[in-house]
Amino acid sequence: MEPLIHVRDLCKDYRLTDRREGVRGGLHDLISPRRRLLRAVDNVSFSIAPGEMVGYIGANGAGKSTTIKMLTGILTPSAGEVTVGGMVPWRQRQQYTRHIGVVFGQRTQLWWDLAVVESFRLLKKIYEVDDATYDRQMKLFDELLDTGKLLSQPVRKLSLGQRMRCDLAAALLHRPRVLFLDEPTIGLDVVGKGNIREFLRGIQEREGVTVILTTHDLGDIEQLCRRVIIIDQGRVHFDGELAELRRRVGQSVRLSVDLHEPTDSEALAAVTAGLPVVWDAQQGLRHVARFNRVEVRAADVIRLVVNDRPVQDLHLAEQPIEDVVREIYRQAAAGGDK
Amino acid sequence: METPTRFASGSDRSKVARLAWQGRIFGAYFVQFLKMRLAYRMDFFIDTLAVGFSLLIQLAVLGVLFSKVRELDGWSFPQVLFIYGFSLVPLGLFNLVSVNLYGFADEYLIGGRFDRVLLRPVGSLAQVIFESFNVSGLNEIFLGLAVMAHASWKLGADFGVIDLLALLFLAPGAALVYLGVFLAITAVSFWVEDKMGLAPPVYNLIRFSRYPITIYSLPVRIFLTFVLPFAWVAFYPAAWFVGGPELAKVALATPLVGVVVFTGAALMWRRGVRNYVSTGS
Repeated sequence: MEPLIHVRDLCKDYRLTDRREGVRGGLHDLISPRRRLLRAVDNVSFSIAPGEMVGYIGANGAGKSTTIKMLTGILTPSAGEVTVGGMVPWRQRQQYTRHIGVVFGQRTQLWWDLAVVESFRLLKKIYEVDDATYDRQMKLFDELLDTGKLLSQPVRKLSLGQRMRCDLAAALLHRPRVLFLDEPTIGLDVVGKGNIREFLRGIQEREGVTVILTTHDLGDIEQLCRRVIIIDQGRVHFDGELAELRRRVGQSVRLSVDLHEPTDSEALAAVTAGLPVVWDAQQGLRHVARFNRVEVRAADVIRLVVNDRPVQDLHLAEQPIEDVVREIYRQAAAGGDK
Repeated sequence: METPTRFASGSDRSKVARLAWQGRIFGAYFVQFLKMRLAYRMDFFIDTLAVGFSLLIQLAVLGVLFSKVRELDGWSFPQVLFIYGFSLVPLGLFNLVSVNLYGFADEYLIGGRFDRVLLRPVGSLAQVIFESFNVSGLNEIFLGLAVMAHASWKLGADFGVIDLLALLFLAPGAALVYLGVFLAITAVSFWVEDKMGLAPPVYNLIRFSRYPITIYSLPVRIFLTFVLPFAWVAFYPAAWFVGGPELAKVALATPLVGVVVFTGAALMWRRGVRNYVSTGS
């Protein structure tokens, strides 16, 4: 299928000015500023087919937001090509924005002092949404996001989760074909995250909208995206299916166990023998097991340990996204181009 | 629903239809703004009062000046009063729409609101200008009209329909000069990230424009006519009414100057948008 989003050799340089210290330094800066270029996005290429939901991940400062801002037409690239639906975002900005929806998790696009519905009405006018479509969309949002009872409240009085639901609705009001989400679940609690994820799945099924999602939360990716693109220091280090990422990164879950009696980790290894679980070599009360979620179910490991000896406490942690990124980056540096 | 891999460009729409649409958007922004202002009614009231008061003080200063001096370089008190009155009308028009230009670097560029502006299918400059209004600009317009009426009565001038039409033509032209100058200053912040604070001193120079520029030395006159064209915001256009036949012809160039200055500034803005560097995250 012909790709909907097409990115080739995309680069973005920022010009930074380093400041000198003190008054003399300040004067010096005035006359000859120390400038250097920072390449925030470095030869990024990928293409995305219609209807795909892609996770675009990387650590802070990796170049995620800069890429999204070029794809949405906010920033003009230093070099390279982008077309979305055959349009060049920063060149045909005004026409282009009619076809996309954008949500920045950190910032609202709603009018702060006004009732939510006022923002929707203004957006309806801006995007020229006809009455029938508007009514249908509002019904859909109420059904999936439960926005109906929020409409009459001023935006500033909404909780973060409520605001995010309204922001998502606002971004989808004009039925865009592409949705860009920058950290849509940031700062939300478990319930809030669950709501947003469920909605995104629903809207994607119903409307077939193409979604690019940046996130820090591996949970978002796991539940929503089949494909991930990992970027680090401006470069793409991985582009493929989530299952392939798991296979390459390996042991991504960390189970820590607090026991009643101190023991050697080898004893625990014996308990889980037969399962591909690795215990960190140590003595004492606390022990850490690592395993791959795809190969081993956490419940199986926990059951074996608990049945074998008294346990005080258990804690299961996903490998943080930064570690996954670092691991991919390390592999790329070590393995060269395999 | 199936997604086409090519978006409709929508460029088949006629110029007239586009203009009508932009007019509707402008109206919608204005209504939105009024709703927000009504949420803070007291502010609105105090603003209006403060501006009215400061204008009255300026008028009193003129009155005191002319109680000591009968003439200013051949210009009589009613003539100077008329120029002053005229100057308030384009200033009011300009103040009505320019509030967001002052805070642009802070709120839009550093505060990150400009990202949102660029994500909407409306011109970025139009959005910034129309996202907020300074309603107290209406005070200046009405006071200016009143002062002009009073001055023409004192002059015993006999203004007709032509003069009224000229006013409708000259005042917006002069307002465009203001808008162009301050838009250019605002657009500089796309390149220079420090707050330059250029707007306040330039704003203060507007005072010079309220007197007949013939009272200044030649370099100042040249500066105000060609470099920082504030002579075009009051003196030249007002000369249509009080300046005699020679200057009246010059007055007619006002809208042209306005269009040129504004177009130059708008082009600078456009280049600035290309150069826009968004804030982190």
